[in-house]
Amino acid sequence: MTYAVVSLGIFGDGTGIRPLGEFYLENSYFGDYSAKSPEVVTSILWDYRGVDTLFETAVFFLAIIGSLTVFRLTKEQEKEVKKAEKAPTELTPIVKDVTKVIVVMILAVSASIALHGHLTPGGGFQGGSALAVAPLLIIAAYSKYTLEENGLDKTRALILRSIGLLGIALTALVPLLTGGFIMQNQPIFPAELDGQLIGGSLIYYNFFEFLAVGAGFTAVFLLLAIPEEKFKKILGVKK
Amino acid sequence: MSVLFYVGAVLIVIGALCDLFGALGLLRFPNFYVRMHAATVGIIGGAAVPLFGVALLALGADFLHHRYAIAGASFITGVIVLLASPAGSHALAYAAHKAKLVQRPEIDHLAEVRGDD
Repeated sequence: MTYAVVSLGIFGDGTGIRPLGEFYLENSYFGDYSAKSPEVVTSILWDYRGVDTLFETAVFFLAIIGSLTVFRLTKEQEKEVKKAEKAPTELTPIVKDVTKVIVVMILAVSASIALHGHLTPGGGFQGGSALAVAPLLIIAAYSKYTLEENGLDKTRALILRSIGLLGIALTALVPLLTGGFIMQNQPIFPAELDGQLIGGSLIYYNFFEFLAVGAGFTAVFLLLAIPEEKFKKILGVKK
Repeated sequence: MSVLFYVGAVLIVIGALCDLFGALGLLRFPNFYVRMHAATVGIIGGAAVPLFGVALLALGADFLHHRYAIAGASFITGVIVLLASPAGSHALAYAAHKAKLVQRPEIDHLAEVRGDD
């Protein structure tokens, strides 16, 4: 009863939008200090609650670092893990060929999700998660060793992840150089580039988050794809 | 509202029917392989076809903002489903046959071709 009265009181003022929501809607695209992003969710995530999102990203990286620590191996053990013991059983040509096509499509779609994040629903984290499906599919249809032979091993994934993280930190700190605040968007970053709306710093955040999340997930998937027999061999577990 | 709008709506209705028949088949069909057929009817007919329907419907709806973006996203998703679902069900059927987990069906062409059995 009380809940009904309260909610009627909130939504009964005719517009259906609360004052805070109205403020965000007006200032994310129309305001003097806005990044001109028509996608209000991305705008709120990185502009109004940027530090919050930065900490969320930090939590994700701590989780990745945690799993890397759990599965940590010495140099020799790394080499042992990278060596395929026997020819891995592979799936049929139908599955492998379809995987090839779909991996390319996933790369394109995930890049589109991430780089349109300031215009349409989506963003760096979502795009990165979609990107991580591509190596997962390759691991499932081919094997972990195929991925590593083609150049995407754990170290490379970690380097990419670090580049992403560094990019986010730099984008957050650049406004300090010009006397602004940390993570300030306007007017330090241009809202438009060549007449194209890029949402100020939003596109940089989205791109680096895309890189970091995709590579971070890939590193964890590569770790999880290590066969159990390898670990038993390394740890000296007797059957 | 053009012809595209109505064609898209009809495709979505066809998708709903395919989903219904797929669910019925999944409940009523006797063994794993035939049930797999019902499941793929549910995926191709019930997911890919309505997605193409949504694409056409969005293209035909003149009042809709961002209708090309909606149509493009639906079309790409439909193509991905169209590619991935046959490969997935093929892998499932192949694995089930190889592991001999399913009660042997009466007609087994794969075993005949390979000469095992």
